[in-house]
Order: sequence, then C-alpha cells, then structure tokens
Amino acid sequence: MIARGLLFVWIAVWMVLGFVWAPVVPVLGDTTRVLYFHIPAAWVTVLALAWSMIQSVLYLAKRRMEHDDHAAAAAELGILFCIVATISGSLWAKAMWGSYWNWDPRETSIFFLLLIYAAYLALRSAVDGEERRARLSAIYSAAAFVAVPFLMFIVPRIYDSLHPSPILPSPREKGSMDPRIRTVFLAMLVGFTALFWWLLSLRTRFARVERRRLDAAAAGA
Amino acid sequence: MARSASSSAAAVWAILRKECRSEWRTRYGLNAALLFAITSLAGVSFAVGPLGDRTDILSGMLWVVLLFAALASLSHAFVREIEGHTLTLLRLVATPTAIGLGKLLFNLIFLAVIEAVTVPLFLLLMGGPPPKWGRFALVLILGSVALAAACTLVSAIIAQTRGRGALFAGASLPLLLPVLAAAVKGTRAQWQGGTVGAEASILIAYAAAVFGVSLLLYDHLWED
Repeated sequence: MIARGLLFVWIAVWMVLGFVWAPVVPVLGDTTRVLYFHIPAAWVTVLALAWSMIQSVLYLAKRRMEHDDHAAAAAELGILFCIVATISGSLWAKAMWGSYWNWDPRETSIFFLLLIYAAYLALRSAVDGEERRARLSAIYSAAAFVAVPFLMFIVPRIYDSLHPSPILPSPREKGSMDPRIRTVFLAMLVGFTALFWWLLSLRTRFARVERRRLDAAAAGA
Repeated sequence: MARSASSSAAAVWAILRKECRSEWRTRYGLNAALLFAITSLAGVSFAVGPLGDRTDILSGMLWVVLLFAALASLSHAFVREIEGHTLTLLRLVATPTAIGLGKLLFNLIFLAVIEAVTVPLFLLLMGGPPPKWGRFALVLILGSVALAAACTLVSAIIAQTRGRGALFAGASLPLLLPVLAAAVKGTRAQWQGGTVGAEASILIAYAAAVFGVSLLLYDHLWED
C-alpha cells in the first residue's frame, strides 16, 4: 500500500522534473522529453516479453499453473507497454523525421513484438481447457523466442537505421548526455519497471484467486 | 542409441511416405494450394502489371505470393489429422518428434511443388529481368526451408485450437517476418548483381534455430 503510493509519487515527481528541471537537447528540442516515456516503455516491452517467455519455458519444464499465470499476465502488460512505446515513438518520428511510419528497422522490430504479443493472446483465447491452453501457448511462446534475437538485434545491425542509439544509450553517447537528463531518464526507467512488477503481481494474484474460486465451485458442485 | 536413431529415422520415413500417399490419393490439398498460389499470383500481376526492371518491387511481390501460398496450405498436414480423427492412431505408432519431422519433410516437398509452378509463372507474368540462377535458387531454397520449419511447428499448435485457418496466418507471421526480410533482401540483391552471403547465412541460422527448437518442443505437443 505504502509502496504503491510511493511509486505513484516517484513517477509523478520525476515526470514534472523532466519538464521543469532537465534541459532539452539542441537538435531534438522539446521532443527530448519523449525519452522519459518512450525508452522506459520500450524497455518494459522487452522485459515483459522475456519474462513471459521464461515463464513459458518454466511451465513446460515444471507444469505449475503459476508459471502460466505469469506468462499470460506479462504478455497482457507487454502489449500495453508496447502500444505506448509504438505510439510515442511514432509521434516522435512525425516530429523529427516528418512521417509517422516508414519501416525503419526499429519500427519493424517494435511492430514485430506487437505481432508476437497479439498472436500469443489470440492463440490463448482460441484454446479450450486450462492445461492445454497453458501448454500450447507456452510452446508458441518458446518458438517465438527464437525469432526475437533475429529481428531485435541482427536485422537492425545489417540494415541502416535512423533511430538514435539502439535500445539504451551506448557508453559513447552516455558521456555526452546531460547528467540531469540522465538522472530523470534512469529514474523513469526504475519507475516504469516497478510499475510493471506491481501490475504483474496484481494480475497474477487475481488469477490465483480466480482459480481457487473455480476450484471451490467445482468441488461444491 | 544407434538402434533408436535408426528406428526413428525409419518412422520419419514412414510418416513421410504415408503423407505423400494420402495426399496423392485425393490431391485436394495440393490442388487447392496450387489454385490459391496461382490466384494470388494472378491477382498481384493483374493489380500491378508487368514491372520490367523494378526488381525491388518484384522481389517483394514474389515473396508475398510465396508467403500467401505457404500460409494457405502448410497447416493442412496437421489439420487433416485432427479433422479426420486420425491423430490418436498416429500417436500410437510414432513419437511426436517423428510425426513432426515427417510432416516437415512433407511440407518441404509440398512447398517445392508449389514453387515449381508459381516461380516460373511469376517470372513470366511479371516480366522481370532473368535472375542470376545460382543465387536466386539458393535464396529460394533456404527461404523455403525456413518457411516450412516455422509453418510446420505453428500448424501443429494451431491444429488443436478453434478457428484454425485464420489463427494460422496470424500466429505464423511473427515467426516468418525474419525469413521474409532476409529472403526479400537476398532476392533483390541477386537481381541487382550483389552477393547474397549475408542473407543466406541469416536464413540458414534461422532455419537451424527454428528446427532445433522444434525438436525440443514437439514432445510437448500432445499430452491429453
């Protein structure tokens, strides 16, 4: 309860500081501030996908429904953060590159993540039976895991991208980043990650209660 | 160990022969897939007309047609077992891995037959410059192997779901995007006189990765 309140205050305070305290980068101008939302959201997207896939593999190995709860919850939250990252990036692209969408390698990879999430959730909704749903979606998740490194890391490195610094600022660019911008950025990164973990724990606890209720109803009937 | 390896190779071979024989008996899967591939090719050709030396568009169109053909037909091998209620019997006589590998080989042959008709027709109708045959064939073969490996695994999953056909296309595409990207770039590069080494190695690595993961995952496919 207190932790949740602190999290909200933390994010709100750093959001305000991002506008009033941190300076803007000369070329980027006011669009600098997308940094505080876009990169943390993109980071959480990747984190959620990795978490979902790890939990899927754990489910296949151990067959405990908690792993499936985590995989499903992380995917649901992942698609949410993925949409935030896509829209904020697209708005920024319109401001800086003059077009909302032009299949830059980074845009391709975020769209690809969105596709994986959507397909995973569509697959879940199309399978009858709790155990079979968990198993089949875990298999799909593990298979999609193979494709992720190819699009996230290989394709953008082979083909040129206009996108500034891949995923996280490289050490070279970090040196040139204003310390105040870096502070706000890292604080927002922490805030977004904590927000994800809090929502994830809410979602998985809810799934646990729901399963207990269904089990009790089945036992009573 | 050697004996189990040889017996599973025999099982894969038996599955492949069974697939080919039951397909050849009715040929409805093949006929439908060929018709679909030619229809989508005719649609593309009619919509954009002969493209001449626009090799950038040609290579994209070629792979869109092949992708459509694969998405329309490669789920057939597993869906047929579910719809004919023959999967249980199949599971009694062979391991999941043998079934998966047999169906993968069948899908490869299936795709090769479709391409043998579609690709020459595509080159004819779209009026592109003659490709550099060696590099063109290399990209085509590697792309098809990667396509078949990913499609076979996804089709085994979606065969057990509701709304199979629509879901197959949606669930396969994320796994096929790396293949599509590399294959289109490779096809374009050979037309423009470049090398295809980078694309070929991406396709090989991807096909090997999907194939390796498939071997691990086929065991979990059917447990109920």
